[in-house]
Amino acid sequence: MKENRLLIIAAAIIIVVGAFIVSGPFFIIKEGEQAVVTQFGQVVATDTDAGLKLKIPLIQEVQIYPNKIMSWDGEPQLVPTEENQFIWVDTTARWRIVDLKKFYESSKSLQRAYSRLDEIIDPAVRKTISTNPLNEAVRSSDIINETKRTGVLTGANGEEIEGLKSLISSNTAFNPIKVGRRDISNEIKNSVEQNILGQFGIAVIDVLLRQIRYSDQLTESVYNRMITERKQIAEGYRSYGEGQKRELEGKMERETKSLLSEAYAKSEQIKGEADAKAARIYAEAYGADPEFYNFWKSIESYKVTLPQFQKTMTTDMDYFKYLYSPRGR
Amino acid sequence: MPERKVSAFGFDFSPKLVILLIVLAVLAYGAFQSIYIVDQTEEAVVLTFGKYSRTEGPGMQFKIPFVEENYNVATKIVQKMDFGFRMDGQGGDLFAQNSTKTSFKDESTMLTGDLNIVDITWIIQYRITDPKAWLFNLDAKEKTIRDISQSMVSQLVGDRAILDVLGNERQAIEAHATELINERFAAYDIGVLVTGTQLKDIFPPEGNVRAAFDDVNVAFQDMNKLINQGRETYNKKIPEAAGEAQQQIQVAEGYATERVNKAMGDVARFKAVLAEYRRAPEVTRNRLYLETIESVFKGQEGTDLIDKKLGSFLPLKSLGPKAAAPVVAPDASAAPAAGGN
Repeated sequence: MKENRLLIIAAAIIIVVGAFIVSGPFFIIKEGEQAVVTQFGQVVATDTDAGLKLKIPLIQEVQIYPNKIMSWDGEPQLVPTEENQFIWVDTTARWRIVDLKKFYESSKSLQRAYSRLDEIIDPAVRKTISTNPLNEAVRSSDIINETKRTGVLTGANGEEIEGLKSLISSNTAFNPIKVGRRDISNEIKNSVEQNILGQFGIAVIDVLLRQIRYSDQLTESVYNRMITERKQIAEGYRSYGEGQKRELEGKMERETKSLLSEAYAKSEQIKGEADAKAARIYAEAYGADPEFYNFWKSIESYKVTLPQFQKTMTTDMDYFKYLYSPRGR
Repeated sequence: MPERKVSAFGFDFSPKLVILLIVLAVLAYGAFQSIYIVDQTEEAVVLTFGKYSRTEGPGMQFKIPFVEENYNVATKIVQKMDFGFRMDGQGGDLFAQNSTKTSFKDESTMLTGDLNIVDITWIIQYRITDPKAWLFNLDAKEKTIRDISQSMVSQLVGDRAILDVLGNERQAIEAHATELINERFAAYDIGVLVTGTQLKDIFPPEGNVRAAFDDVNVAFQDMNKLINQGRETYNKKIPEAAGEAQQQIQVAEGYATERVNKAMGDVARFKAVLAEYRRAPEVTRNRLYLETIESVFKGQEGTDLIDKKLGSFLPLKSLGPKAAAPVVAPDASAAPAAGGN
């Protein structure tokens, strides 16, 4: 029985030591954690340094909280913009516990902190979005007006087609923004900060618009607008091509006519000049003896024309002068 | 009943032995707990009673059991995160194959600066540069990376027109996204560096809208086709017309040369005859006359010759139908080509 007693004593010692350690004066704060020490429910200390810590056993209690950047994710909410277009806004925020005592006093649990954040951030988002036009929430700068656009208006050979610009009106300038997405985010953050920091021991690091989407109804009409815009441009391309083709055909017609008529004019001129030259040559030569020319030309002509006639001659011709008499008539 | 010390093993358990066994087990567990392995791709952060003490490199490392804890972090591996889609059946492997792709429209649908809708999928690649900061400065790690990346890409896309997003601005968005995300991460001090952002598919919304966008490309091709057709006709016709014009001019030139040469020939002949004639005008004139008449009548039959004094003959001569009259065919030899007009 002596051995049994030894065993019981050993077990008792282990239990007591174990209980002392478990409920005892030590507690550990890990990196990324912070702790609040309460005594009968009252906060007596907060500690943000990691390491092995001491407390009064059984009297003091320790609660561990994260000392990290926390993430808050809002439910997407349907918010009207200033121009009363409904959009889904999905926001996300990062926050951390900066004043654990205040945090413990006001929220105690992380769950309650999250619902506090919901209660404060969601209305702030709603307020800011609804007092700004849609493009202020979408765009952050006027870079859209500075972007060089090439390629869209170039033809088959890469040359810029001036005529297309008027057909494809997508190159319009956009209204310059006054606030912009970044500042809207900051505005939301600031209004959240005013509400949170003092009371809850929470610091909001940033609030970002993760996503903006049109409401389903609006999406449909935006789709239709996009389609009609594209159609207009497609038609622009096609009619421009058709026009160019027609123009080329017309140009062809014109050039053909001009080529042929120029050729006609030139050939007639050449012919005329040749005729004139020939006439001059004839006139110069025949002018030397017009009487002989008449005679010569006549008899040359007779040779050609006379054989075609039916002939009945009279002997009256000079040719027959010697027909009746060797001495002539 | 006699007390018997019986165990299931048929082995005597004295309290000393039990204590010894417990101590041995604890020691063995402690020895086992004091060794840990750090992979070549990892670094290990060691905490002593929860407080950061050191960072160890790859290999077999030691720690004080129950007091020290190690956290291994893959700092050398470039990790990947997908947006707008997920690849099933693999983690952060960049070169995984045979995996299926699931779309996440909630992530990929965005507004562009000209208030159009666009569908974008992208990936980011990142590496943990500071394991301590990574472990202890950030709570929801993956979610934060995801949120920031989404916000920044959405912000950049929101700053540009849809055609630019679909076209030339892809690289600018990628570069700026990496920059903006890293700016945020640096401000948070969470020990992560984004090494790259890659936009994957950028499309107009599926369905009719995408069809309309595609149609613009088709229309662009149509335009070029029409212009080329026009050019083709033009290129085919114009050289032909130019040739025809040249032909006409050449014909005229030919005519001109012929006309002048003919005139010169005629004139040369006339001049030669005239020179002859001047030498003996009377004789030459008569000779020419007689030769002409001869050549005209030579070889022809049936020409009526009437004496002027035989006035009674005239009424008998039928001047009517050719049938009764001798047909006179032109005689080539007797009719040399006459000079022009």
